[in-house]
Amino acid sequence: MHITFDKIMPFPLASIRHGEESIWGRKVVLEPGKHILLNASSGKGKSTFTTTLFGLRDDYEGTITYNDRDIRSFNAGDWTDIRSRKISVVFQDLQLFPSLTVRENLVLKNRLTGTFTEEQLREKLAFLEIEDKWEQRCGLLSMGQQQRVAIIRALAQPFEWLIMDEPFSHLDEANSQRCLKLIDERCRELNAGFVLTTLGDSHQYTYDYELKL
Amino acid sequence: MLNRLLFKNQDKKQLVIAIIGAFLGITFLITSIHYLIKVNEFGEGNDILGPNTIIVQKKVTNLISKNDFTPAEIDKIQAEEFIQDVKPVQANNFDVSFETADPMVPYFRTETFIETVDPAFLDVKSDKWHWQEGDEFVPIIMPRDFLVMLNTFMSTEGIKQVSDELAMDVNFKFTLHKGDRKTWVNARIIGFSNQIAAILVPESFMNYGNSNFSNGEEKKITQVMIMGKENEFGLVEELLAKRGLETKNSEMVIGRLKSVVGTLFFVVLGISVIAVFVSGLVLIQYMQLLMSRNAYEVRTLMRIGYHPSILIRRFFRYFLKIFGIVAALGMGVFLLFKIFLDRMFESGGLFIDTQITFYSILALIISYFLFGLASYLNARKGIYREFN
Repeated sequence: MHITFDKIMPFPLASIRHGEESIWGRKVVLEPGKHILLNASSGKGKSTFTTTLFGLRDDYEGTITYNDRDIRSFNAGDWTDIRSRKISVVFQDLQLFPSLTVRENLVLKNRLTGTFTEEQLREKLAFLEIEDKWEQRCGLLSMGQQQRVAIIRALAQPFEWLIMDEPFSHLDEANSQRCLKLIDERCRELNAGFVLTTLGDSHQYTYDYELKL
Repeated sequence: MLNRLLFKNQDKKQLVIAIIGAFLGITFLITSIHYLIKVNEFGEGNDILGPNTIIVQKKVTNLISKNDFTPAEIDKIQAEEFIQDVKPVQANNFDVSFETADPMVPYFRTETFIETVDPAFLDVKSDKWHWQEGDEFVPIIMPRDFLVMLNTFMSTEGIKQVSDELAMDVNFKFTLHKGDRKTWVNARIIGFSNQIAAILVPESFMNYGNSNFSNGEEKKITQVMIMGKENEFGLVEELLAKRGLETKNSEMVIGRLKSVVGTLFFVVLGISVIAVFVSGLVLIQYMQLLMSRNAYEVRTLMRIGYHPSILIRRFFRYFLKIFGIVAALGMGVFLLFKIFLDRMFESGGLFIDTQITFYSILALIISYFLFGLASYLNARKGIYREFN
């Protein structure tokens, strides 16, 4: 799925001076299957990029299109289809359900599309070394553990794009690498692209191209 | 799991208050509609005289005033535009007594008056309202007061009371006599009327009695039967007042009684409608509160790919279930109430039809439907507000 940012300028960022390489106010195409690094310092709009692209906010000038269709024309049914089958997101604030267990958080997402079995979900948790948290409430986990749960949840659906908003901010290097390996495998399996927003650290990952804000 | 997520953060106290309010409202709504209809129906259809028909006599103001109708006076009444028909009520001109002749009821015997009216005024088939010498029994129409009196008597004797239908199976007997000469004729009730004060018999029986047992006195016409035109019966009442006529009081008493009880139930109905409306509103507000308290969960579920309609359905069904339980409880308590109230009416001599009214059920269905609709629209609005 081609995603095009055509002269997008979020209203809250309109008063900030953006560099020549910034995607804000320019035409940018996210090519299908590409692994993209979105690099920017704090306050430049990384979360704004994620939430705008995902249709969570509408306070911008310009046009965002998916396969040449303006996302402003999408209805609830379109967005539901996109969010469950086309684009998956790891939010910066994770958006897990703290009152539910890790299992419930993952199953709640996974059962929409029946992507994995519970066994496969447990294997992924084991790979990220948090399998023992399976029946633990998410609200009781550390931020790093929650980030790993949120990453597995994002993988538990078919997608063409995976958007990750600073997904490793609370992880050490070893855990970040394990997560990146899991993400890379899944993206290659689905032939999907991803956008990884970061404060500057590429986590030693080789990406196709970099975007700046 | 989804329900656990969506229906956490509940303030059960508010929910319980709303449920109690809705339950009381629904219970009184069904009860008041049921009895409002039953009280209004009371006596209707049971009266063998038409709905616009009354028997009138002159008001007796002193001992020397005339109480009989002349043919000219009858013609004058007939000439009124709102009068459909006027006929004299013919009374017996012979001595007659009436007694029970059935082991089902205690024995009693009384000297009585009998009357006959034009069959056109009666809601009875002509083959049933017919008598000739040699017939097994003479059909009679009794004043309803008679049944009340009979039941009061039987109640004091500790005997089970009789309904209209049962009373129609009881055998009675007329004794017609003149001096030493006597004859007995069996009688059977075929209907009741609130309008009459004497036993009504077919004209052929009256002629038979007058021909064979007359005491020789000329019988004056002291009562006439008036049938008013549809929807103009109020004018008939005005005529009665203008011409110094009066009708049987019991019908007016029943009318007033029905009016008072009807008004009472109407007030209860009004209060019930308000109670149902307000408690429905509280339940709806509770739904809004629940959705706003769980806004994060609602929003996040939609962000991870849940369609708004899935969440709308959850809220809608949850509240529909609550109102369904309230409606079922209300219906159950109404049925218990009904047993109690029906017994109370019966012991007071009012045999109200005990079948549940269609309109009570309809009111319940309409309330349920309206609540369901309001719940759905409210849930839809609340969920889509969180959708982005």
